[in-house]
Amino acid sequence: MSILVIMSLLNGLTLGALLFITASGLTLSFSLMRVVNLTHGAFYMAGGFIGLSVLKFSGSWLLAVLAGGVMMSALAFIEERFLLRWARGNDLIETLISLSVAIIVGDLVLVVWGGYPRTISIPEALNGTVSIPLIHTIYPVYRIFMLGLALVIIGALWVFLKKTRLGVTIRAGVDNFEMVSALGINVRRLFSFVFTLSGFLAGVSGVVGGTFLMLVVGEDWRILTLTLIVIIIGGMGSLGGTILGSLITGLIYSFSTAFIPEFSLFVLFLPVAIILSIRPRGLFGKER
Amino acid sequence: MTKESGYRLRRTLLSALVGGIVIAIPWISSEYFVMMSIRVMFFGMLTMSLTYLAGELGAVSLMQAAFFGISGYSVALLQSRYGFPFPIPLLAGLIISVLAAGLFGLLIVRVRGIYFLMLTMVLGQLVWALASQWSSVTKGDTGIMNIYAPVVFGISTEESKTAFYFFQLIFFCGASYFLTVLKRSPFGLMLRGVRDSESRMAMLGYRVHRLRYAAFVFAALVAALGGVFFTYFTGLINPHSVSLPANVEALLAGILGGINSLLGAVVGTAILKTLDVVLSGITERYMLIMGVMFMLVIMFARQGIVGTAMKYWGKWLFPSRNGSGSGGEARRPPQEVRGR
Repeated sequence: MSILVIMSLLNGLTLGALLFITASGLTLSFSLMRVVNLTHGAFYMAGGFIGLSVLKFSGSWLLAVLAGGVMMSALAFIEERFLLRWARGNDLIETLISLSVAIIVGDLVLVVWGGYPRTISIPEALNGTVSIPLIHTIYPVYRIFMLGLALVIIGALWVFLKKTRLGVTIRAGVDNFEMVSALGINVRRLFSFVFTLSGFLAGVSGVVGGTFLMLVVGEDWRILTLTLIVIIIGGMGSLGGTILGSLITGLIYSFSTAFIPEFSLFVLFLPVAIILSIRPRGLFGKER
Repeated sequence: MTKESGYRLRRTLLSALVGGIVIAIPWISSEYFVMMSIRVMFFGMLTMSLTYLAGELGAVSLMQAAFFGISGYSVALLQSRYGFPFPIPLLAGLIISVLAAGLFGLLIVRVRGIYFLMLTMVLGQLVWALASQWSSVTKGDTGIMNIYAPVVFGISTEESKTAFYFFQLIFFCGASYFLTVLKRSPFGLMLRGVRDSESRMAMLGYRVHRLRYAAFVFAALVAALGGVFFTYFTGLINPHSVSLPANVEALLAGILGGINSLLGAVVGTAILKTLDVVLSGITERYMLIMGVMFMLVIMFARQGIVGTAMKYWGKWLFPSRNGSGSGGEARRPPQEVRGR
């Protein structure tokens, strides 16, 4: 195997890890509320820029990640509580409202942080490279940390959705929304919670992703597109589908960037087309 | 004179008045206004293509700008790179765009409602990425420049704005007529049946997939026509024309004007393009203002200007229209797509 192939493979895995962190929040809110939150990419970008500023003032990368997550969850809460709830029940209008919020947030980011590409510097502890045994390649520690972080989040989400009462309620809501509300569970609060959680994950992924990708205006739509492709491939509402979708998308994007850069994004048309032709609901999506 | 013919007379007079003004524009107004009218017409075709799908199929597409751009890029490449003479780039641009719509349509007819929006957005973004990244052909983010409007019947539409105005007006009227006829045809009626209850139409034996597919391709053709004239008029095409903001702008124009009528698409585009010119002198925050406007219109004014106007003044032009199926304006609030 050539070094380019190995590198593309590793980069694909780490990009897939980032996409999973971003997409897991989106797929959760999408499957429960039937609203494609088109603000998700803007949350990613704004979260990343907030992390950048917090890091500059405090010097703590961990604090930056938390700040990005918390600020975006607050924004998500406000959006859900005051805008989306206003049009509840008409999922198309809710989605279009989220699109308008994305445009507003995107332009505000441009006002505050400007249009130049920035990168969050890698924290001291995660800086440097390691030599990976067996394939004798050196690889940045940070990117390996990314893989680990994605695994931790997968584990946390799995425990949350399968073992906690709230998680079980959310899964029940995904499967049969009417029944859950008929059982007397406060669905409004459930929606708010899931949407806020989704915003938190987007903000965190923005800071984490902004540390190894570039942060620049326009990145919001690129990340949103990749995230939506993950969901189209994997099927909505399925943790397994999101993992698989992230890996497929990350790997294809990474290989195409290395080998056919002029078509690096457009190539993703192929998996979308193939999977939609075979399984219109995605690999793990349920017919409803 | 019966009541019905009285209404018809009023409508004919109004149409004649509007038609007369449209034809007289190059003589009664400044060149600047002519250029604005040209801009409104090609962007109007993009908006019409979007509102046609939204109104008749009940599906909001976020990739109409892609077809606008595909035909624009085709014209640019065929003319400036390969040097084909006039009618060929125009026709080939339309054909390539329609073929692309035919390809994407195969996937798009498989999804509905919110998935339609999601998939069209993704495909539109992929086309944008192609325009931006395939730099050996599309020249990347700079785009292709120095495209000249053609010489038609010995008159250069590049030099004479009046000639360009009429050149485009013919195609614009053709596109409007095409969509109006489609709306009123049996096809349009079947399509509205699919919009209102797809399962019922399927049960009645209609091939709903084919109807949706055809509507998508027809809409793409109109957007493609707008793209051709955009490229001819501005002389350049770059990824911005295919981008999501371009599409959202058309969507905003459509909803602002009123999604159920072609007139609304033109009115909305005219307002937005005027605003664009006014604001560009004052502020750089056009996107912010557009986002806020989009939100307010979505939340509070979904009927649109023409829809609202028809509610108040429609009775002056049309007899009370209970259950009439003819292609009209504000019959029902737009966008009844429900997820569950």
